Amino acid sequence: MSTAAERAAQLDLVARLKSAYPELPDAPTPDLLDHERITAYLKPVHDVGGEPDAPMKYEDKQYELWEHMTYVICEVLAWRGIWLSEERRRIGNVDVGRAQYLGLPYYGRWLLAVARVLVEKHHIGLTELSERMAEVKARYGGGLAGKQLDATPKSQGDGSQVKRNEHHKRAVGKGDPQVYAGQAGQPKFKVGDAVVVRELPVIFYTRTPEYVRGTKGEIAAVAYESPAAEDETWDRPATPEWFYVVRFNMSELWYGYTGTTDDVVQTEIPEHWLQAAP
Amino acid sequence: MTDHGHDHDRTVKPMVDEITDFEVLEIALRELCIEKGIFTAEEHRRFTEFAEQIGPTPAAHLVAKAWLDPEFKKLALAEPMTASKEVGVDWMEPTGFGTPSDFTAFQILANTPTVHNVIVCALCSCYPRPILGNSPEWYRTPNYRRRLVRWPRQVLAEFGLYLPDEISVHVQDSNQKHRFMVMPLRPEGTQDWTEAQLVEIITRDCLIGVALPKAGVTTNVITDTRPAVHPGTAG
Repeated sequence: MSTAAERAAQLDLVARLKSAYPELPDAPTPDLLDHERITAYLKPVHDVGGEPDAPMKYEDKQYELWEHMTYVICEVLAWRGIWLSEERRRIGNVDVGRAQYLGLPYYGRWLLAVARVLVEKHHIGLTELSERMAEVKARYGGGLAGKQLDATPKSQGDGSQVKRNEHHKRAVGKGDPQVYAGQAGQPKFKVGDAVVVRELPVIFYTRTPEYVRGTKGEIAAVAYESPAAEDETWDRPATPEWFYVVRFNMSELWYGYTGTTDDVVQTEIPEHWLQAAP
Repeated sequence: MTDHGHDHDRTVKPMVDEITDFEVLEIALRELCIEKGIFTAEEHRRFTEFAEQIGPTPAAHLVAKAWLDPEFKKLALAEPMTASKEVGVDWMEPTGFGTPSDFTAFQILANTPTVHNVIVCALCSCYPRPILGNSPEWYRTPNYRRRLVRWPRQVLAEFGLYLPDEISVHVQDSNQKHRFMVMPLRPEGTQDWTEAQLVEIITRDCLIGVALPKAGVTTNVITDTRPAVHPGTAG
């Protein structure tokens, strides 16, 4: 049971959580938004490279058991063919939206991604999950009081009917991206080639960072073949393409760069995002 | 946990220590997965054991060996996953296709007298876990990820690493399937050192590229660790 005051207080707390431009009303009419702001709202929220920020104190935090267990469950789900890493990276780092992305702990997002994929792929019902959460919470109702946190499954399922992906079998003994080797034909670019990163429209997902789009770089390495992240992340048949490590001169890349003219940043980009520099 | 099977000192403030929202969710999900056969308890245990033994020690040995043996250095740069095996790391473990989040494309970035390498993942926290263990908390912060790709010299200075203009900074944003690690240069004053001695000064931070190895320095730059106390006290 909660009191009316407690409910009001929680709503007040939620109301202070802002992830919108303060100059705009909530759900603005289309005439109030320009292309730049629409792009900003649609930007995959994990793509933070180059966003301004002030120095902060870097420190470690005691690693908590649930954080470790969350890492493990994510990896085991990939091992057992429930999702690809690329699905996990999208669901936990982008699909969560800006408020949760910036507001929740790192492994909190990983864990929500686990719940999300299991529900979305029909492995677990959401009510079933809520009821189990209530049950677990009740087990530790009086506080931990020295009790170990532990999962106590009521049974062990046989799992033979669980729908699993192809990847977890075909990648065995090869690795990823090696499992895609030989499927992309000849690479279009070679080391030393000057390229421009295309400015493709982005909705939902990409791993080509915004900070290099529209800029000129140089191929530093022809890396491997793989489907592009935005194709692989939906676990549907996708054609592998070549990936390249592309080198960007930071004094050209960044307005007002304060380092030397030789400093570079390198990042990995799939072929369809690149074109030969004019 | 404070339960040692005897009464607590009554003068000690009683610990509330409630189960947290994420602990509840994690346990609920794990139980349902096992009950439905999505994975077995044994598979979960096997991966947990694997994940508990990874750490930066093999990476330090790899660099020390490369410093001592030019042939091994060539191998480390040309075939880093083969070289990893010589320090006990098989990138295909424990699933037969690697640790899924880390993929199996590894590259070592060698510093030179005029190039300093440093790694980041501006999109998440891609990191060579199989050979370096779990990433430190700060490596995953939006702060480090936002700034390193644009203000690398300032960020490095915050770690106490001031690079002269003659050394160019190479930031590697490892944002796809490659995983990277830095091979620093062997420092002065270590001429007759053994592999075991060298390993001591090749800290995790040196392998990320936010520090340089130095005789006498055997700890990471960031060592402050906040205890995890719940409930939190934001606001």
